[in-house]
Amino acid sequence: MIRSLLMWLDNRTGCNDLLHEALYERVPGGARWRYVWGSTLVFTFVLQMITGIFLWMAYSPSTQTAWESVYYIQEVMFLGKIVRGMHHFAAQAMIILLAIHLIQVIIDGAYKAPRELNFWLGLVLLKIILGLSLTGYLLPWDQKGYYATQVSTKIMGATPVIGAQLQEVVQGGAQYNHHTLTRFFAMHAGILPGLLIGFLALHLYVFRRHGLTVHDPKYKPDTTFWPDQVLKDSVACLGILAVVLLFAIFKGAELSPPADAAKAYAAARPEWYFLFLFRFLKFETVEHLGLAFGAIYVPGALMGVLFMMPLTAKLKAGHRFNVAFTWLVTFGIVVLTTMAFYEDGNNKDHQAAIAEAERDGHRIKELASRPSMIPVEGAVSLLRQDPFTQGPVLFAKQCASCHRYNGHNGRGLVLREKGDNGEQVVMQPVATDLGNFGSRDWMTAIVTSYGNHFAPLKNALWYQNLGEDDLNLDESEMSDASEGYAEAFKDSENADDLKALVEALVALRNWRGDKDSINAELVARGKQILDGEPLANGAEIASCTDCHDTLGSDFELTSEGSGYPDLAEYGSAKWLKAFIRDPGSAQFYGVKNHMPAYAEKMTEEELDLLVRWMTGDYFETHVEDYTSRFAEVYGAGRQPTVEQPAAE
Amino acid sequence: MSENKQTSSAPDDTPPSKSVDQSEAPESGSAEASNSGKPRRNFVVEFLAVAIGGLVGLVPTAIGGLFLLDPLLRKGTHPAGGEAEGEEGNPVVKENGFLRLTLGIDGLPADGTPVRYTVHDDIVNVWNKFPNQPVGAVWLRRIQDQVLAFSTVCPHLGCDVEHRSGEGDFYCPCHTSAFNLDGAPLNKIPPRAMDALEAEVRDGRIWLKYEQFRGATSEKVLV
Repeated sequence: MIRSLLMWLDNRTGCNDLLHEALYERVPGGARWRYVWGSTLVFTFVLQMITGIFLWMAYSPSTQTAWESVYYIQEVMFLGKIVRGMHHFAAQAMIILLAIHLIQVIIDGAYKAPRELNFWLGLVLLKIILGLSLTGYLLPWDQKGYYATQVSTKIMGATPVIGAQLQEVVQGGAQYNHHTLTRFFAMHAGILPGLLIGFLALHLYVFRRHGLTVHDPKYKPDTTFWPDQVLKDSVACLGILAVVLLFAIFKGAELSPPADAAKAYAAARPEWYFLFLFRFLKFETVEHLGLAFGAIYVPGALMGVLFMMPLTAKLKAGHRFNVAFTWLVTFGIVVLTTMAFYEDGNNKDHQAAIAEAERDGHRIKELASRPSMIPVEGAVSLLRQDPFTQGPVLFAKQCASCHRYNGHNGRGLVLREKGDNGEQVVMQPVATDLGNFGSRDWMTAIVTSYGNHFAPLKNALWYQNLGEDDLNLDESEMSDASEGYAEAFKDSENADDLKALVEALVALRNWRGDKDSINAELVARGKQILDGEPLANGAEIASCTDCHDTLGSDFELTSEGSGYPDLAEYGSAKWLKAFIRDPGSAQFYGVKNHMPAYAEKMTEEELDLLVRWMTGDYFETHVEDYTSRFAEVYGAGRQPTVEQPAAE
Repeated sequence: MSENKQTSSAPDDTPPSKSVDQSEAPESGSAEASNSGKPRRNFVVEFLAVAIGGLVGLVPTAIGGLFLLDPLLRKGTHPAGGEAEGEEGNPVVKENGFLRLTLGIDGLPADGTPVRYTVHDDIVNVWNKFPNQPVGAVWLRRIQDQVLAFSTVCPHLGCDVEHRSGEGDFYCPCHTSAFNLDGAPLNKIPPRAMDALEAEVRDGRIWLKYEQFRGATSEKVLV
């Protein structure tokens, strides 16, 4: 029955001959592992078609939905992480297989007459695959792809004569927009795969016409493609599939934060297989010769030599030249890639930028998975309104020239300057480290080691020429008081009282989300101490309220003060905001103040984001805050001290 | 010249297994080319080639297929399917499928005159959530301390049912379906009574379970 059906079909289509033609290609010298590379390339392409079509069914190309749909594929949909991961890693496997295939063709002389045309067809396929990589990189619309592709389109813009117009047409406008994505997507999922299929068919047809380039015809008895070589090819493909799957499962494709044209992405790098070009362009001499030279003429010349190889081979020693050239370029690419990796690995700024991108990348996933989901404006607006994300950026911009946050600038970067001998030294802060502002550590430090806590002030220029009104950390009333407290609390009998006092001070910030973590018993005892009751060992200490008469009252903005900083609701967002707006008001430091007022320097929204970050008032996170990479710096590596982040 | 010999394509298309055997015998003359061993080895190779070749094609297709079945396989596991929790600035409050209406029972006429009310709910669109969107309308009637709620969608063919205060009935202008104020049909056009919706009064606030039903069936079937 089936047999007669097949005969019927064959009668009308001649499919048996075709199958025969496809399967019984002669393999002189026997099936060998070294012949598998071409087939593995076809297989990875099929793999890309399969995974690509499924991804297509869930992807939405527009600047407000591209990242969001990829996030949804990756984090929410069933097996989405695997499907995207396979597509991502198979693309990279394809590049490696392509390089192996090309090098093998050249070394084995398979590009020579009569196979010139097939070699050129192969080079066209190479270009198409690179085009697929480039267009695919932008589609997730994340910071990484966005800024890497910006470089590519800028290189396009450096094309002589028509550069600017070319770039605008490719982008669908002067800037990246919805149409950049629709265009890239049409190229990536339509035009380029279509061309690839067409040229692949030609490539295979011409390959069959000339047959296999046999490495050693006496290696083994002759055989045919089916089944011996097919088995070897299948096993190789299985190996590749396994590797791709392992990467997809255990590593997973990266999704950096959503693209934001307003937020520079310092960690921008092309995909690893283009790193050599990136590194090449960074050479000073290359940079000096212009973008078009490094990014268009040099690669163009290399491609030109590659293209001419079948003709070069006709010259005396032509084949040897081609082989030598191939190895030389391969060596150059390996060296440049290694250099790029090595340099990035040792570049603290780059590492900090990567850390920030990863932090934002994890954070946006937390924000997007809230029940309120992603707003229509897109996920980027979630990050822009998130104190945990924006606070550090604002801190780095507005505060870090004087203050530090756990030793760094808020964004994980340790600031450096040129030392006396021209070497890079860590820049000394001229104001307090605010990484633990308002925490128990902070209160303890103020009570028992005030002078030390504010010691960075001594680096400030104004401190070198102390005026009468200025704060002298060695002689101020608070320094004296703190020394007294330190002395009193040295007695181990008073250890619990110190805890109680600190707890009472922490309780001042009664608004913070960690209200529940405040120990009421300790606070009660702390208040007694504040009211002047003697310590456990009978010692009497000066009360904070002797000077700071606002302690325990409600915080209110006033135009006058007692001459001592207002400590009502000290450590609260309300207090901190008023303080940052005008630290020199009589309510705070008055004439002693050296900090600029920020009322005019920051918008209300910015101030709100900064203060909410510093006081831990944001949607709960499991993302680790920055720790400094420089252990020797003061406060470095200290964990963030907001004990219990508030729920939003 | 390189040492590699380039062979041109096979000159003929003679059946392969035989040709291999024939070409092999004179060239190699190896002892293992006996007829008994050959087919068996070929069978194993062929089986493995088909099995492994099939596997590498099947695995990605199967994974992709399961990915495509996502709506079936992941039903109700996403937080989006859950309750709205009265986020800041969003008046939509939902509990066990009941929406809290912005209208209190005191807002309805005591004599039981129907009031048209537009129901708002959060609309989840895959990864987006559109807060407080109009999703449909209901007719609300106060009967003492209880509230009667009818969908405004006609059970006949889904047109919008009006209230005619002159006639004191509900009336659909498309195909002249008519119902009394308790929702019972007044002519033979509608296949069933107006779709009553579950409504509760708690502390003077109206809570409504807003649902839609299939049209043109005599049974009330949830969409």
